[in-house]
Amino acid sequence: MKHQIAVLALFYLLAFQCIAQDLPKITFSPHWLPQAQFAGYYTAQKKGFYRAEGLDVKIVHSSASVNASELLANGTSDIISSFLISAISAKNSGLDLVNIAQLSQNSALLFVSKKTSNIKTLDDLNGKKIGVWKSGFYEVGRDLIRTKGYKVTWVPILSSINMFMVGGIDAMTVMWYNEYDQIINSGINKEELTTFLFSDYGYNIPEDGLYCINKTLAQRKGDLVKFVRATLKGWEYAKNNRSETLDIVLEEMKKAHVATNKAHQSWMLDRVLDLMEPGAKKVKKGQLSESDFNKAQNVLIDGGYIKNRIEFNAFYKPVL
Amino acid sequence: MRSTNLYSKIGTMKLNINRSLASRIVFYVLTFCVFLFIVSLSVFYVFSKKQIKEMTYQYAETLTKNTVLKTELKLSPITKIAYNYKWIIENSHLNTDSIFGITRKIVENNPEITGCAIAFEPSFFKEKGYYFAPYTCRENGVLKTFQLGNAEYDYFVMDWYQIPASIRKPYWSEPYFDASGANALITTYSIPFYIGSGLEKRFAGIMTIDVALDWLKDIVSTVKILDSGYASVLSKNGTFITHPKKELIMNQTIFSYASEINNPELRVVGREMLKGKTGFISSTLNGVERVLYYTPLPSSNWTLVVIFPKSEMFLPLRKITFTLILLVSIGLILLTFIVSRIVAKQISPLEVFAESAREVANGNFNSKLPDIKSNDEMKNLLDSFEHMQKDLSTYIEHLKLTTSAKEKIESELRIAREIQMGMIPKIFPPFPNLPEIDLFATLQPAKEVGGDLYDFFLIDEKHLCFAIGDVSGKGVPASLFMAVTRTLLRSLAPNQLSTAVIINALNKSLSAGNESNMFVTFFLGILDVDNGTLKYSNAGHNPPLIIHPNGPTEFFELTKDIPLGLFDDFDYGEKERILLKDDKLFLYTDGVTEAEDVDEKLYSDQKLLDCVCVHTEYQPKELILLVADDIALHVKGNQQSDDLTMLSIVYYGRQNEGIN
Repeated sequence: MKHQIAVLALFYLLAFQCIAQDLPKITFSPHWLPQAQFAGYYTAQKKGFYRAEGLDVKIVHSSASVNASELLANGTSDIISSFLISAISAKNSGLDLVNIAQLSQNSALLFVSKKTSNIKTLDDLNGKKIGVWKSGFYEVGRDLIRTKGYKVTWVPILSSINMFMVGGIDAMTVMWYNEYDQIINSGINKEELTTFLFSDYGYNIPEDGLYCINKTLAQRKGDLVKFVRATLKGWEYAKNNRSETLDIVLEEMKKAHVATNKAHQSWMLDRVLDLMEPGAKKVKKGQLSESDFNKAQNVLIDGGYIKNRIEFNAFYKPVL
Repeated sequence: MRSTNLYSKIGTMKLNINRSLASRIVFYVLTFCVFLFIVSLSVFYVFSKKQIKEMTYQYAETLTKNTVLKTELKLSPITKIAYNYKWIIENSHLNTDSIFGITRKIVENNPEITGCAIAFEPSFFKEKGYYFAPYTCRENGVLKTFQLGNAEYDYFVMDWYQIPASIRKPYWSEPYFDASGANALITTYSIPFYIGSGLEKRFAGIMTIDVALDWLKDIVSTVKILDSGYASVLSKNGTFITHPKKELIMNQTIFSYASEINNPELRVVGREMLKGKTGFISSTLNGVERVLYYTPLPSSNWTLVVIFPKSEMFLPLRKITFTLILLVSIGLILLTFIVSRIVAKQISPLEVFAESAREVANGNFNSKLPDIKSNDEMKNLLDSFEHMQKDLSTYIEHLKLTTSAKEKIESELRIAREIQMGMIPKIFPPFPNLPEIDLFATLQPAKEVGGDLYDFFLIDEKHLCFAIGDVSGKGVPASLFMAVTRTLLRSLAPNQLSTAVIINALNKSLSAGNESNMFVTFFLGILDVDNGTLKYSNAGHNPPLIIHPNGPTEFFELTKDIPLGLFDDFDYGEKERILLKDDKLFLYTDGVTEAEDVDEKLYSDQKLLDCVCVHTEYQPKELILLVADDIALHVKGNQQSDDLTMLSIVYYGRQNEGIN
């Protein structure tokens, strides 16, 4: 009897593996190291939503040295997540990518400064040193400063908040869900900080979306539909099971040897889920509105980052 | 069977007396001892706690200082090396290629240094291009020297370059893990350097020294305080650089940790730490109250924290206290046992005393007493008991004699009373053959024998002699004087129709040899029953009442005559008045008018008059009984203090004859 069960179990195991091997493979790359920003993908993976859709998804993270668009360009990844503005830039630079779903609906970018720097209003930023990431996400902040006509010294920084902490810069561009909380977790209290959320200044530009190259869309639309569907399910699960999701995220981070802590990831998860809500915007969850697209493209054109306008329909090809 | 029960009951009672007294003493002694012990222990505990706390804090401080010194011994040479070589770079016109050699030398000569870079500003040396940063590092014990900067490693935006370049001050980087993946924690000390002199002196770049921090972990992990106390080092941002819990290192800051364990207090302390302050704080971490002592590491501005559970601080004290409580409890149990034994022994004679007292109560004055040899209170009690036995014995003997004497006297008094009462006429109506008059009298002595008297008799066929008197004082002497007076009256009255003659003779006889100065108030009357003529003399007695059937009732007039027996030559007078038909006389002693109620309110002349006035139609006997009732009503049961004597006479006059 025991033998029969063992043989049966072995049979199922082999059968399952065969099925798994036969499933269409998708390699997905989030645009940064593992963190709660990508919680929905991890839950979709962990809870078997991808597999349930009939996909064998592999998550390959990008990093400071290798960005996601490169992975998409060189064919390592089938789908990547990317900032809307970064994606428009990349498309302008010749990468034939398309947006297949827009997850974030709101901007998380802001300038933060210490009250000790005597910055109380946006005008006070005039003439100050502002830190921006060298690697990107500076376009909106620069546009805000440019339209206001301020003269500021832009200080490119790699990724840490240390420059801001030691007072090497007066203000810094940060993500509401990430660096802002890191500053708080480095001992500066909320009330000691002044924040200027870009969304309050007419720049509520959506951020994270899913992209693939046109060719993939043409050839594997069915798989992309499945991927997006499972991903949205993953995010929904994350929203409803935050504690479990947090554990999944921390596990992913531990695997990748990324330093973090629960308090920070908890904050990040809550904020990222907030950003996904359309709120007053006339757009459904997971979709990109044309006005948001135009707003993003205008920032890039006005800032001189790109020269040619892209058609909305050429850029946004939702699979759902 | 019954007697057995009784004895056992008595036995139990004795036992109860002893037991309750002994247990009460033990209870008081024990309560006091416990109280004393609690107070002493509390004082000891509080004082020791304070001492231990101070000592532990001192120890924590010393330990921390030593640890700080040890870390400084490692970190300060780094800063010195950096300063020395910075000076060489700034002041020697070095060949650009020789700078590689310097970095190599630094790493080679200092085993604790894992890397060294001398990074120049962009395009500082035209020939070297945009990036020029000679660098030497140690990889698996082998030194590697190369130029660090390139488009991919844009060192100008790296914290180790950008921050000191921006603030133009030396900078200890936030620790980071070695890129080789060896999981070695490294920090970089960066120092800006300048080239040129005078006005041409300009910022040229940053020199860095990488230091592996494995020694820091070693130093900090040797810090042990109490059982589970430990130390930890925090970076400038509050990140845990060392901690016994590996998962905290480089992952958590004290602030994220405070948020995770929901301890806002820890955040406040964390901020104090980052400000470079030194201090103690108690805070609950992971459900345990812990003491934190923090102080900065001067070179790097990192913070060293020593943490130990508060409870451990007092663990030895608790152990000692527990042992003390245990020992004292055993001591108290022993004390209870010994004290109860001692007390029981000491008070055991009391049982014998109690038994003896019971026997004494039953009349046995020679009851057995305990044998006491000690010279203490018990001995005193024994002496008192013996004395009491003797005294009681004597007293009872005496009492017996006294009682028999008293009984004798009482019996004699009883006889005297019978005699006294026998002396006054008590047969009513006294003169059944004399229809002209009727009379009634009562005498109620306050004691067995009294000093009041009344008397009446016929001098001849038509003259009625009557008298009422009150001897001063009461009791036997008064009764004797009364007897004398009455006897004298009876012997002087016959054949004598003048009250003055009789009363004067009576006074003389009484005054003679009256050494005890007794006297008697006396009213004497002689009524001629034929015509109603009343002759009377009043020697200081209460004036009688005369009751006219159809007229007013009034007191006789007062006379100035003094009581009998005072002065033998006093001349008493005689008065006369005519009684009409149905007139009544009412004579009384002061026991009537001076009868007191409980409030010492007298019955009074007026009340007597009122009472008599209401009952004028009654005959002597009824009248006297009614007055007696009225007096009883007045005194309301108050004890009679004086003899009560009343005499009433009604004069009917000659039957079928008119009266003048």
